[in-house]
Amino acid sequence: MALWWPVLLLALSLAILIGPALTEGTLQLANPDRTRAAGVQAAFDALPDDALVLVALDADLGTYPEIRPAVRAALDELLSAGASLAFVSVSVEGRAIGVAEQARLRAAGAGEEPLDLGFVTGVEAGLVLLVGDALPAGASGAIADAVAEEGGGLAAFDMMLLVGGSDVGPRTWVEQVGTRLPEVPMVAIAPTFAEPELAPYLRTGQLVALLATVRDDAAFVESVVGPEAGPTSTGGPPSAAAMLLGMLVAVVVLGRALVQALPRLRRSTPRPAAEDDEA
Amino acid sequence: MRRSIPAVLVVVVGLLLLVDFVLVNPTVASLASGAQELIVLLAAAAALAGAATLVLRHWLDLSERRRDPLGSGVLLAGFAVMMVAGLYPGSAGASDPAVRWLVAALLAPLVAALFAMLFVFVLSTARTGVALRTRQAAVMLAAAAVVVVLLLPIGGSLGQSLAALAGWAFDVPIGGVFRGLLIGVATLTAVHAARILLTVDRADE
Repeated sequence: MALWWPVLLLALSLAILIGPALTEGTLQLANPDRTRAAGVQAAFDALPDDALVLVALDADLGTYPEIRPAVRAALDELLSAGASLAFVSVSVEGRAIGVAEQARLRAAGAGEEPLDLGFVTGVEAGLVLLVGDALPAGASGAIADAVAEEGGGLAAFDMMLLVGGSDVGPRTWVEQVGTRLPEVPMVAIAPTFAEPELAPYLRTGQLVALLATVRDDAAFVESVVGPEAGPTSTGGPPSAAAMLLGMLVAVVVLGRALVQALPRLRRSTPRPAAEDDEA
Repeated sequence: MRRSIPAVLVVVVGLLLLVDFVLVNPTVASLASGAQELIVLLAAAAALAGAATLVLRHWLDLSERRRDPLGSGVLLAGFAVMMVAGLYPGSAGASDPAVRWLVAALLAPLVAALFAMLFVFVLSTARTGVALRTRQAAVMLAAAAVVVVLLLPIGGSLGQSLAALAGWAFDVPIGGVFRGLLIGVATLTAVHAARILLTVDRADE
């Protein structure tokens, strides 16, 4: 029994290495329902020429690998459309990821060099302050000048791309900034666990577009890069074969645990609360 | 009724921010902005104090060889390396290549490895949960298994059907339960805040 997890790791590794070659066509990571991916594309298409876009990067290191392909595809798509990007973070890990993404964009030489608005402490209080004054002392360049001309606050931006994690996410931005600047459209990319709490904001229009599952992310990446985008270490979607294998193992383990629990479920009667406490 | 200073501060700042949110008044706005700047400074100071406390505690653990001296040593070494990379003379701070390398080559893979192990630990905990609390755990595991099946990355008509069902599950049952939880938490938070603002909370007496 103790050997099952090394075997699983070996199987996952093999699936990542040879899976795509063996299963081409039978597996599909991208969601067949392209509504969410098309929503993001439509929001990007609605931007004016030379748009100013704020990238609120508050992802965390644990869940960022899940959304990284979609985030990178979105940034590349915005830059190729001529948008100017400004990065800001109110979480520590988000700041580390934001710095790395800005370095990647600079190294790629794609579009105008992004403006770094830095890290703001205080989360909610920091967000409220950003509404009125987002430019740090000493900010310079064409993007900083454009923001300053519009008052220096978040109202200067034509769109906000909210990248969330397990600590701070699009919900906090909608609550603190969206209520004060309802005219600035917000697009969110978040890990799957955040989908149930963000979906209502999409229905109310407080978010104009949302990517919050791996399959929607993959659909968006496909729409930007094309179906040839494969699993790579540089930001492609994850291996569908490895995901399928891991998910099947999870289903088998959960199913086995449930089947073993069935006899106890039939026998058991609810225990009184006092008995629970004593236990 | 005796009120503590923190409770009075909470009431004053809470009312100020609330009034600023519903009224357009330059004086109130400047007062609220000042309070928010103070909160931001306090948060930064709290972060610094937290870091100092962490270092002090692990330094004492290491020097007195108690609890986990090896872990304390690793923590202090990591802390020192990151501080040096971000604060050496001429460093660009968080944007410095040394900091970027430490984050990308060390921190990110370590955290990703920890999160990857969740797969094994969650399954193991699920099995233990069924043994301990059969009924509640069974409901949770059944729901988890259904969601996993709905998200299987399969192509063709089966994949389309699963994706459609997954969308419905997210929108209706999962969305409904989650929204109920959020509304419940928000209601309780509002009630608790109102109790403090109306000075009917007896916790600080």
